[in-house]
Amino acid sequence: MTHDFEFGVESRYKNKREREADAISLMQARLERMKNLPKEQIVRAKLLQLKLKMENYLIEQNNTEDNHFTNFLKMYIDTIYSHRSKFAEDMNITPVFLSQVINNHRDPKEEFLLKLMIHSEKVFKNVGDFQKKTWYQVYFQEKIADTMFNQEKWRPGIEKQVKLSEPF
Amino acid sequence: MTITEASSGKIFPIEIFPVEKADYKLLVKSHFFFDWKDEQNEEVYKLVIKGEQAILGLISLERIPTEWRVHIRLLTVSKENKGSQKKYDKIAANLITHAAKIAVAEFGEFACISLKPKTELAQHYIDKYGMNITGVTLSLEVPEILDLINQFDKKP
Repeated sequence: MTHDFEFGVESRYKNKREREADAISLMQARLERMKNLPKEQIVRAKLLQLKLKMENYLIEQNNTEDNHFTNFLKMYIDTIYSHRSKFAEDMNITPVFLSQVINNHRDPKEEFLLKLMIHSEKVFKNVGDFQKKTWYQVYFQEKIADTMFNQEKWRPGIEKQVKLSEPF
Repeated sequence: MTITEASSGKIFPIEIFPVEKADYKLLVKSHFFFDWKDEQNEEVYKLVIKGEQAILGLISLERIPTEWRVHIRLLTVSKENKGSQKKYDKIAANLITHAAKIAVAEFGEFACISLKPKTELAQHYIDKYGMNITGVTLSLEVPEILDLINQFDKKP
């Protein structure tokens, strides 16, 4: 009979002492291994982290005022490029346009989102399964969240312009 | 993420959710091998086939941010998924991958998952997942933790 190794693991620490001893030896061994970690694996880890953070944001439907899209975009660019201007060049946009998008002084045009989709396809080809629609979903989910969150700002003016003339 | 029906090879999409308070009534030792009620104050997740209710596996985790680590406290599959007559394959692998995803999302290039299986099980985890061994603790770090995610975290 084959032994089933994966039906369960009991892995809880019995006491604080056991846990602390484990933490020290494990950290020493890990730091030693990290010394030899190639740069491309660090970049790979950061990109996978970004992908997972974006996916979590889409699942959690976090309705806050945070600038998720631009924060993710900054993380993406800064993981791959040493200078943001080089990314702007690769995307065939001006550094000024990129800076305005990143600093939330203007909305990205649809063309920018399309280029970002193509750029990500190339980058994630060797990193992991990245869904094409992810940047779009993040951008529009944030738009929806902003609209709902800021109703006090836009509602009074807009409400004055809308009426219902038919009996309902 | 998917699991495979052992008898037919058919693939089923799965979902992993946090265990809710009401679930603990169903998590009896005779079906899930451990006393899961002890884990009620921990971060516990259940694996189900997408759209279904039946719990096929469970994992309890502890996030340790000071060590960039997620420790697997307890892991199990349900009774019908144990042994040579098991109904579905890859339940445990998906649960371990879930822990790996949490670690990478939180800690990036420093991410680590750890567990302390019994000695006779350790070699299996080393062989199957490429885990490192330190004393009696097994751990998975970059790059192997990324390989694990890429292997199992695929859209069906």
